[in-house]
Amino acid sequence: MANLKEIKRKIKSVENTKKTTRAMKLVSTAKLRRAEMAARKSKVYAQKINEVLSDIAQKINQYKIGGIGSRYFDLKDTVDKVDIIFVTADKGLCGGFNIQTIKEVQTLMREYKDKKVKVRLRAVGRKGVDFFRFQGVELLSSYIGVSSSPDYEKAQEIINEAIADFENGVTDKVILIHNGYKNMISQELKVVDIVPIEEPKSTQSASLSLMELEPAEDETILNSLMKKYFEYNMYYALIDSLAAEHSARMQAMDNATNNASERVNKLTLAYNKARQESITTELIEIISGVESMK
Amino acid sequence: METLKLEIVTPDGQIFADDVKTVTLPGSEGEFGVLPHHASLVSLLSAGIIDIELVNGNHELVAVDWGHAEIDEAKVTVLADGAVAIVGNNESAIADAIGKAKKLIESIGDSDIAIAMAEAKIDSIMKQRNS
Repeated sequence: MANLKEIKRKIKSVENTKKTTRAMKLVSTAKLRRAEMAARKSKVYAQKINEVLSDIAQKINQYKIGGIGSRYFDLKDTVDKVDIIFVTADKGLCGGFNIQTIKEVQTLMREYKDKKVKVRLRAVGRKGVDFFRFQGVELLSSYIGVSSSPDYEKAQEIINEAIADFENGVTDKVILIHNGYKNMISQELKVVDIVPIEEPKSTQSASLSLMELEPAEDETILNSLMKKYFEYNMYYALIDSLAAEHSARMQAMDNATNNASERVNKLTLAYNKARQESITTELIEIISGVESMK
Repeated sequence: METLKLEIVTPDGQIFADDVKTVTLPGSEGEFGVLPHHASLVSLLSAGIIDIELVNGNHELVAVDWGHAEIDEAKVTVLADGAVAIVGNNESAIADAIGKAKKLIESIGDSDIAIAMAEAKIDSIMKQRNS
């Protein structure tokens, strides 16, 4: 009889879990819709600004234009110090979403270590921060609470710190890693070299005339464009990551709900079997009692 | 006929993407027109009106508050912070869009001249269209 009670208790607990996971799935679905919309709206702008910048990079390298701006485009052969900014979620329960990003960061760190390059980490999101703290890896800066509600000012703050170090020559390269939204059921890891800006891989936009800048006298335009580019890339990484996080969580919770249902079915079967067994035992007891009375 | 590929994008999405005959942009150093085969240029834009001449000869207006334009021989890319396309199927929709556009330019409001110029431009083109 104890067995019966125990199974019943288990069924109840699994059913409660199922309720929770289903609720979480619904919440994620609702949030995903909003986050996805935001990400999709910004995607065009992010793509365009990257295109424009890589066009400029191509031209600047072609004509060897000097000045402040040129440092942004200078693809050095030797890199001594790299900043990695990576974005993870603040919360767990979203499958392999955070681990994927963390693994990529670790792989990159190992690669750079082999090349004797110093790597500094800037972590965005509690999960990434916690992981590396636990591992005893030093984080240059960590931001918690940004990835669940991205806003432009926060993005500015994060990226400007990294860019300031780059401008002062403290670092030679800044890499931005985030797990981005691909579609409802899959995420895509994105690793972007923020600075120095790479030339376009395809040379189809081969307009070879020298580029003029207007206003021409100073580099205000280049600087303002660069600023926009950095900030927007960071901001886009945050919203893209949020959309991906929700889609990952939705999927994880969907799986969890399905597993719970399966488990309930199995337990119910076991419960019925146990009940039948106990009935049979009781019957046998009665029958054998009656038999012995004869 | 030669055309330019014009794209206007803002953080809120794409406002305009099509082949056009010419486009007039409100550069920070003054207004300038772009025809196909224009030399490469990157320019800062100030608050104002982008006047687009479509392939069919019609004009379309887009108000922008601040941004950058990248121009090369075959394409013009405008990256704006905010942009309002002045389009509509009827009078009231157009009037609505004009109101929004004026508000957008006024919100930047670095100079009264820019606002006045933009408004004058909208009015003149609307008049042309109506006549």
